[in-house]
Amino acid sequence: MLEYSEPVAKLIDEFKRLPGIGHKSAQRLAFYILRRPEAEVEKFVEALHEVKEKIVFCSVCNNLTDVNPCMYCSSPTRDRAQICIIEEPYNLVAIEKTRSYKGLYHILHGSLSPIRGVGPDELMLANLFPRLMPDNNDGVEVREVIIATNPTTEGEATANYIARLLKPLGVRVTRIAMGMPVGSDLEFVDEVTMDKAMANRHEM
Amino acid sequence: MLLESLDVQNFRNIHGKLSFGKNLNIIFGENGQGKTNWLEAVYLLATTKSFKTQRLQEAVKFDEELAIIRGSVQVSAEIRHALQVALQGNTKTLTVNGKKETIHRYLGELHAVVFNSDELEIVRGTPDARRKFLDGGIVSIYPPFVQTLADYNRVIRQKNSLLQSAQESGFSVEKVAELLEPWNEQLIHLATRIYKARIRYVERLNETLEKKLFGREEIAIRYASSLEGKGDLSDYAALLTERLNLRVQAELASGHSLLGTHRDDLEINFDGHDLRKYGSSGQQRSALLILQLATLTVFYSQNKEYPLFLLDDIDAELDYKRIGQLLEFLSDKTQTLVTTSKESFLERFGTNAEIFTIENGALKT
Ligand SMILES: [Zn+2]
Repeated sequence: MLEYSEPVAKLIDEFKRLPGIGHKSAQRLAFYILRRPEAEVEKFVEALHEVKEKIVFCSVCNNLTDVNPCMYCSSPTRDRAQICIIEEPYNLVAIEKTRSYKGLYHILHGSLSPIRGVGPDELMLANLFPRLMPDNNDGVEVREVIIATNPTTEGEATANYIARLLKPLGVRVTRIAMGMPVGSDLEFVDEVTMDKAMANRHEM
Repeated sequence: MLLESLDVQNFRNIHGKLSFGKNLNIIFGENGQGKTNWLEAVYLLATTKSFKTQRLQEAVKFDEELAIIRGSVQVSAEIRHALQVALQGNTKTLTVNGKKETIHRYLGELHAVVFNSDELEIVRGTPDARRKFLDGGIVSIYPPFVQTLADYNRVIRQKNSLLQSAQESGFSVEKVAELLEPWNEQLIHLATRIYKARIRYVERLNETLEKKLFGREEIAIRYASSLEGKGDLSDYAALLTERLNLRVQAELASGHSLLGTHRDDLEINFDGHDLRKYGSSGQQRSALLILQLATLTVFYSQNKEYPLFLLDDIDAELDYKRIGQLLEFLSDKTQTLVTTSKESFLERFGTNAEIFTIENGALKT
């Protein structure tokens, strides 16, 4: 038997799919929505629709963007010889804040985690390899791939895995330095630490 | 390190304030009056954990919202720190001198080692208890080791999960070997760190072990790697790498990580016999104490001070002869807190001790 009427149960169920939301929080969110005026909920629904309609994955680097290719991939001033691999779009923000990295990105949208059912096939990695050919990169040969996944066991496993695939291709592969606390998420690393981590990267 | 006083509100059935002496403190009371709860409160103040329960909300007094345990710790002649652990529902708030602290910073403030019947698992239980004993000792002298252990456990969990899903999906051994690589690479790195730290810690314990404290029988300890007999342990990383490569099929078949420091043990021998299998319960208790005393000494050599030593229901666990030998060893070293329900204990050991008689959870006046 359902705890609540069908539409409420359905909404709670949808909230529970969101990351970091358990049953209790999902209930709280559902009842919050129920108490809001119609117009406000309408605006929320619209925002959801709009973001799904207008935002796409960049076909080159997997960044979330409203123009394809994204502003980084289509910029004439970025250094196309460097590609920095990151887990999530918000990691890009942390690196951009340092203002010292001028290359391109590749966003995996996750990291290896068998516990969460994420294997190599679940990462957005396949479209990285064509980028290494000058023909697909405005004639520029990629000189270096910098792996900037999180300094967690999952981020390390992902870095190891990618380095193993890239090395036979002859491209230089580096890993950002772990000056930051192990187990941390790059989302919470300040720009000074991030800048150091980029500067002190090492060969893999 | 000296716990001068402890002030408790709404924690189980105890309340009020005890002011401790710097050597032996005896908490005396009949069973059910709350003497062990006082010891538990001290342990909680030091470690933020209970030695009785994992569910701390159970320890808040019935019908009350908030339990507070507060202690004054003498850091040096001039410096006192006010530590406080507040329990409210599922949350635990830690403060030092009124300022909220993270658990990492808080844990350095006060250290305690407890001797009770649960700790006997170390000498008679499964290898897991002995690994925890070693790891806890290493963390107490080298706190960043916590991260190494957490990362190692995470890698093992990820690897187990990978092996199980590979089993269900019917992956080939070659495919599994490839998927395991990124996890095994970290496993080797972390296991090597853990192996070396434990070997070094057991060496240090051995250097300070009072092998014959309680009589003629001699205790001996040795770290027993699960890779023993499989090759050259002096290059642990290389040996583990080799074994992992050889055992992919076995790991796939079992669905579990079969190799690493999570399969190791600490061997404890009494006069050459395996204590766990052949030791009497008296010998097991003696051995546990000797091991704990060694951890106190190693802690001292690192930090130039002793942790608090808490002994619960000491006379149920040890005879008076051994208690006498123990207390003599501890005098002028640790601040020691013991609980007892026996008048005869007070008569025998109470002369140079602070005595607290507990009735209905509070100091009897
Ligand atoms: Zn792009």
